[in-house]
Amino acid sequence: MDRVKRKNITLWISRRSTTFSESFQATRFLAPLFLFVALFILLPVMGSFVDSLFLDVTFRQRKFVFFENFEQLFRDPAFWGAFRFTCLFALVSVPVETFLGLMIALVINERFPGRDLLRACVLIPWAIPATVSGRIFELIYNYSFGAANYLLEALLITEEPVNWLGTEMEAFFALVAADAWKTTPFCAIILLSGLSAIPEDLYQQARIDRANFAQRFFRLTLPLLKPVVIVVLIFRTIEALRIFDLVFVLTGGGPGGATNSLSLYAFGYFSAGDFGYASACSVVLFIVAFAFSWIFLKVGRFQREAI
Amino acid sequence: MDHQLPLKMVKTMARSALLLALTVSLSCGPGENSLVLSVGGTPSELAFWEELVEDFEKENGIPTELLRQPTDTEQRRQGLVLALKAGKPNPDVFLMDVAWMGLFTFSGWLEDLGKDVDTSPFFQGVLHLVDIYRGKIVALPVYLDAGLLYYREDLLRRFQHPLPPRRWDELLSVAREIQQRMRNQAPRFYGFVWQGAQYEGLICNFLEFAGSKGGFVVREDGILLNCAENRRALKFMQSLIWDQAISPPSTFTEMKEEETRAYFQAGDALFERNWPYAWALHQSPESEVRGKVGVAPMPAPPNGESVSTLGGWHIGVSRFSDRKEEAKKLVAFITSYETQKRLLFRLGWNPGRRDLYSDAEVLEKAPHFNALKTVFQKARPRPIFPYYTQVSEIAQRHINRVLARKAAPAEALSEAEKDISALVMRYKVQGDPSTTE
Amino acid sequence: MNEGRLKSLLLVIGGIVTFLVPLTPFFYMVLTGLSEHHDFLSADKSFVFTLSHFHAVLASESSHFMAFVRNTLIVSAASAVISVCIASMAAYAVTRLSFRGKMAFMLVILALSMFPPISLVGYLFKLMSGLGWINTYQALVFPYVAWTLPLSLWILVSYFSNIPRDLDRAGLVDGCSRLQILIKVIFPVAAPGIFSTALLSFIFAFNEFMFALMLTTDYSARTIPVGIALFEGLHGQIPWGEIMAAATMTTIPVVILALIFQRRIIQGLTRGAVKG
Repeated sequence: MDRVKRKNITLWISRRSTTFSESFQATRFLAPLFLFVALFILLPVMGSFVDSLFLDVTFRQRKFVFFENFEQLFRDPAFWGAFRFTCLFALVSVPVETFLGLMIALVINERFPGRDLLRACVLIPWAIPATVSGRIFELIYNYSFGAANYLLEALLITEEPVNWLGTEMEAFFALVAADAWKTTPFCAIILLSGLSAIPEDLYQQARIDRANFAQRFFRLTLPLLKPVVIVVLIFRTIEALRIFDLVFVLTGGGPGGATNSLSLYAFGYFSAGDFGYASACSVVLFIVAFAFSWIFLKVGRFQREAI
Repeated sequence: MDHQLPLKMVKTMARSALLLALTVSLSCGPGENSLVLSVGGTPSELAFWEELVEDFEKENGIPTELLRQPTDTEQRRQGLVLALKAGKPNPDVFLMDVAWMGLFTFSGWLEDLGKDVDTSPFFQGVLHLVDIYRGKIVALPVYLDAGLLYYREDLLRRFQHPLPPRRWDELLSVAREIQQRMRNQAPRFYGFVWQGAQYEGLICNFLEFAGSKGGFVVREDGILLNCAENRRALKFMQSLIWDQAISPPSTFTEMKEEETRAYFQAGDALFERNWPYAWALHQSPESEVRGKVGVAPMPAPPNGESVSTLGGWHIGVSRFSDRKEEAKKLVAFITSYETQKRLLFRLGWNPGRRDLYSDAEVLEKAPHFNALKTVFQKARPRPIFPYYTQVSEIAQRHINRVLARKAAPAEALSEAEKDISALVMRYKVQGDPSTTE
Repeated sequence: MNEGRLKSLLLVIGGIVTFLVPLTPFFYMVLTGLSEHHDFLSADKSFVFTLSHFHAVLASESSHFMAFVRNTLIVSAASAVISVCIASMAAYAVTRLSFRGKMAFMLVILALSMFPPISLVGYLFKLMSGLGWINTYQALVFPYVAWTLPLSLWILVSYFSNIPRDLDRAGLVDGCSRLQILIKVIFPVAAPGIFSTALLSFIFAFNEFMFALMLTTDYSARTIPVGIALFEGLHGQIPWGEIMAAATMTTIPVVILALIFQRRIIQGLTRGAVKG
């Protein structure tokens, strides 16, 4: 009995010490990552939080003003306009892109000649910088000579050229369309992976059971795809809330500030030297994005086996 | 397995690559061995600046580089603000729009140009208002700008309206009539093109529509906007686009200086509101309206006198410059008599120097200059405080909404007033230099 | 209607749309770059082939085009390499070593990737300004590395966890240190995954805009996305021809990369997202 006990204790000690030395080694391996992330992500965010409590403009001494920046922020209709736009933009563009992504994924999931080529083509919008795609669409939406109006008139859909970037409604949808062009590929690819993970035999079985096209899609594909769809929705929503590049280039926040996003609004104040106020706005956006990430972490399913 | 590079070596390579990149970065940027002048403007203006810079280099032996900025004034300001806030030595010399210069002077970013600078040749009014801060000269006017009414002389004559309109309602009726008659041959023809997009230019236009009794009324406790003259002006501006349809629908979305100039220059407009720079371009060989253009002061409102918004650009030296003496020489060069004359002839810029207005050659080549002199006398600056840009943004937003027919004039103006007073309270500066430490 | 035929029909339509929609704007960009008149779609103008825009952008020094390309390549490559190195080390620890709070760690890292960049950029500007790094390569590389680390970590964890631990044990028995195992054993086996990760980081750094806009002030460190966004051209009004020519030249490399390595990219993205 003594011998067994001693052996167990020895084992226990050796396992603990291996674990201890492993932990120590792990620290060394994790340190660079920690350092970078702490210095260049955590620190700036905390710094922004602190800054938001100060009146920090270039023509005055920095002064602690507690929540004055936030008060001013919440009183500013331009802020609420930006808030509204940002939420609306996310609300509209995310489902659209997810839906289109699903359609594309369904197409690419099938086997047919040229499928690889198609998949590669789909990647192109995702691969180019957002500002480049912004300028392309700026040209496309041009009132006088852009391709959009040209097509519309050539296809006899409209008689008068459409003032795409001129009216609030049109500008909104123009942005959604441009963003959809740019980011649907991302949704499509993630959904594609989910689709291709569904075993073929399930479909065979369904066919044997005389399930038709629609039934197979709605009863089999969609439910199995649900976790992936949720991942895409949440990822895209968090991204959509930050929208900046496209709005900067395509509309600059216009017409009349109608397409001003929260990021662009804050940026405007940064570039005027009012860092306190801009930080306050970025704090608000941070909290909104954080709330969404929280939802994601709760709802998403994690495969612990991976770790 | 041995042909895989060890991690350590890869890391060392990455670090040395970065180090190399740093040195490369340091040596390939502007200002390493030269003076840096930062200007923006239209591409044709920039081409001329390149010439000027070359001449300065040749004359003074100081290697100088031109840093091109975008055309848009807001983007030019943004680039400068960030560089100055970071205390970068480049650019050494730069141009500032008089509209946002207040931020730069109050933020202490401009170098004192020194007691040796001879300020007598310049327009004293502007100098004292804008260029002198706490008794020191921190900038000099490179050129002064004021809004002008351009018109198609040939069309006015053809349709028997020999003189340009002196009042806004006159302009409206003439424009309507001629636009109607021109539409057969030129379907894109509009009576009046002006800057209505949501940017600073909108405020400049608005002030001119409002006239001497309208605009920004600066008081002790804030800025008044909701007065009868302003309401009338906004209503008028709105009707130009919608009811009367003599201005294109893109007026409030896209029309800035270059867009209106291009429109007028293609022969598709009867009247144009723009700055003097457009004159030279309208007279260029490729222009459709060469020799057909006249220039007049802005029309007057029913109540009050005609007003031209004072614009223009001033030149200053960065307080963080590493070549201050050379920078001051460049400033002296650019504001010299000869250079100002060249700027006038090539770019149509009104010199900031008073003495050029009596030059014979100038008056010969640019007869419209006489009209300009009177315009200048009446030119009105925008309010000068460090946060004027934010005040303007608030006003721009509300005014553009009226143009987009999203708000009524009275409502928009009173809301603008409210927002502006909240802003003024927050900054608590109100133009008083003693509150900045 | 026959189900099979309906499906084929939908497939064909879907295929055509999926082919045309991504590519059409892209082709429009290329065409405009090659066209004499940018308004060649107008009734009175037509497409006239010319290389003058490309020439103008490349030859003109004041457009600083080559500077933008150089800066972007250096910054993106450096960020990608450093990010992958650091992430591999961390991924190794996560998949091979035991320590407390592993799950929490991964989740925190994941959460970090969801911060909006605008919430960082203000203080980052002050930080870089204080270090005197505004408008240098470091100002961009360090934030980009930090920013791409979460995604890189998740992707590499996914790849590394598929590598059996027996390989490690063999090395350990031979007396190698953990670091040596990482380099000599894991790297060669996980090379495709590492390459995907590096590629994704490269593409991200290449396309990033906001940090580049705020942390750099002129062409000595500015990158392509900023250059294209602010490009005002050399002659004429808005010089669409030149803008599109510049855009074409700057996007062709990334497009080629994406086309050649599409499998890698897709794998990487999938692993990063789905495992999360």
